[in-house]
Amino acid sequence: MEYPDYEQRLQIQLERLQSTLNRAFRSVPFHQKRLQEHGMDPLHVETLSDLSRLPFMERKDLGEHYPYGLFAVPLRDIVRIHTAPGTNLHPTVTGYTKHDLKVWREMVARALAASGVTALDILQITFDSGLANWGRDYKDGAETLEASVIPNTPLSLEKQLMVLRDYKTTVLITIPSAASQLVSYMFRSEFNPTGLNLKTLILVGDAVAPEFRAFLEDRLHVSVWLQYGLSEVPGPAMAFECRNHQGLHVSEDHFFPEIINPKTGEVLSPGETGEVVFTSLSNRAFPLIRFRTGDKAKLISEPCSCGCPFARIEWLGERTDDLLTINGVKLHQTQIIRHLEKALGFAPDQCRIFKKQYSYLEKYGARSYLEVWLLMNENLFSDEIKMLQKLIHNAEEKLHENIGVPVKIKLKEIRTFAGENR
Amino acid sequence: MLRIRNLKCYYGRIMAIKGVSLSVAEGELVSLIGANGSGKSTLLQAICGLLPGWEGELAFRNDSLKGLRPPAIVQKGISLVPEGRLIFPPLSVLDNLKLGAYTRYRKKQHIEIAQDLEMVMTLFPVLKERTRQAAGTLSGGEQQMLAIGRALMAKPSLLLLDEPSMGLAPLLVDKILRTLVQLRENGITILLVEQNAQAALKIADRGYVLETGRVVLQGNSQDLLADDEVKRAYLGKDYGDFYEGRG
Repeated sequence: MEYPDYEQRLQIQLERLQSTLNRAFRSVPFHQKRLQEHGMDPLHVETLSDLSRLPFMERKDLGEHYPYGLFAVPLRDIVRIHTAPGTNLHPTVTGYTKHDLKVWREMVARALAASGVTALDILQITFDSGLANWGRDYKDGAETLEASVIPNTPLSLEKQLMVLRDYKTTVLITIPSAASQLVSYMFRSEFNPTGLNLKTLILVGDAVAPEFRAFLEDRLHVSVWLQYGLSEVPGPAMAFECRNHQGLHVSEDHFFPEIINPKTGEVLSPGETGEVVFTSLSNRAFPLIRFRTGDKAKLISEPCSCGCPFARIEWLGERTDDLLTINGVKLHQTQIIRHLEKALGFAPDQCRIFKKQYSYLEKYGARSYLEVWLLMNENLFSDEIKMLQKLIHNAEEKLHENIGVPVKIKLKEIRTFAGENR
Repeated sequence: MLRIRNLKCYYGRIMAIKGVSLSVAEGELVSLIGANGSGKSTLLQAICGLLPGWEGELAFRNDSLKGLRPPAIVQKGISLVPEGRLIFPPLSVLDNLKLGAYTRYRKKQHIEIAQDLEMVMTLFPVLKERTRQAAGTLSGGEQQMLAIGRALMAKPSLLLLDEPSMGLAPLLVDKILRTLVQLRENGITILLVEQNAQAALKIADRGYVLETGRVVLQGNSQDLLADDEVKRAYLGKDYGDFYEGRG
């Protein structure tokens, strides 16, 4: 793959950044107003580092401008609309123009190619409903590479394994906890990994610890590649591992990364740990200007021996905010509670929320679900157990539908409610 | 080859170019499109040194063009084919062409100049038939060819053209643009300013869209030709075309 030299890249990034700002300023009231409040005009951004003078964009802004308030093109130019769980009551809605989709396809294809995927591969995509958007993007990217794609379909573990085995899948794209779930299922059902053609496992949604990576590589006889993306402003593969597996290359021709101090907002130098902030450089429909991801990482500025000139990030897996990441889906406490209220039909007096892992699984990165504890009191109590069960069951289903991750609701007496989470 | 960063140009106190960054690589044909008054011609004039007082960064082959007068810029290898041709009507076609090479006569490049004259005549045979004729008596298309020929006589490595299709019949526009493609194949880098966006993008490698002194879009020309916004604003497609079939 050919890359432009440093000066050229700098020029391309600056040109794209400036026209992105010009378009956002011209077409999106939100961006125009905020720039003006800071006494700024796009023409004040003369270098990439001038970007640090602009205000941040946060997850809550996406929800507040539901549904189309942040679009920079007329709706007639939009060819695809994606919905992702937001951090509040409203989901996050993003749009794509024809050109945006083309850019994403090529970007995902490039990231897949860096993981060694070729037209000869058979690629299987497995995500939960909360990450369905990524499933589409990976399908498009893989088809661009002319690989054979088995698109994302919700399947039971048994069926998943059947497809993996019978369809001779060579590349599996999924989240870390699902991969670990697969391993334990295979071993429990006495299925030897030698029965698979799988050679590449691409993990997204969560960072993986080195031991976990080694565990998966060992049990599945594969090499593991990590890719990074944003689920609410799809999509995936904004950063990707190369053959060296030393950090993730950011697709810098389309996204400009900054690492900031999450408390002060100040930009940190390479090597320092902070929050990743992205600015889109080519997005037409949905420009992101200094979008705070909440993900912790540090920038590696040394060039990589693979030849790809894009800067790398070391993705640390921790968060700078109080979002829960469940199977790659990011959720906020207040958002969960609001959805819970809607699902129950009333506001519970007290509740507690936990991220839990299914217990029968291996110790590493087991598949997670959301557990909600409700305090049992007179308001909730009914002398008919059936009624209670129905209420809980319905609430679980509704909540699952709205936030895209599995949910368990437990009723707790006052003594156990305050107790330890077990 | 040409690198522009944060260019600002003024007419008095009015800022006509508001922080434009743009680049042209060696061997590329780049089109700059935009509506009337978007600043396209201003940008070309700044590059050629015809509009001093600009701010920002204008570099040709990594050398700044700041403070250089037009002849010095021509000597560096940049030639302009100005809007409305601006040939010298009373002078003969031959004299017009020779004037294009005037910075080279001082360097005593007579042999090379004769060769280039031959090259221009081969490129535009109609000029050869009319060498002695006063330039003012040529047709519009022939005058445009003469203006391009004159710019080529300076032996530029970067050719700038300001609305070469203006006022020409479609057939002639085609001929002029085909010539540009040919020049690019001969190794000349081209920055083309056009209102005829469709024609300009068809022959270009890449394009920039200028709007009230700012770049709002850039990309390879196939993408721009297919772009809904470009179609609406510059390719003369009516809004009705877009609503059709959408109820």
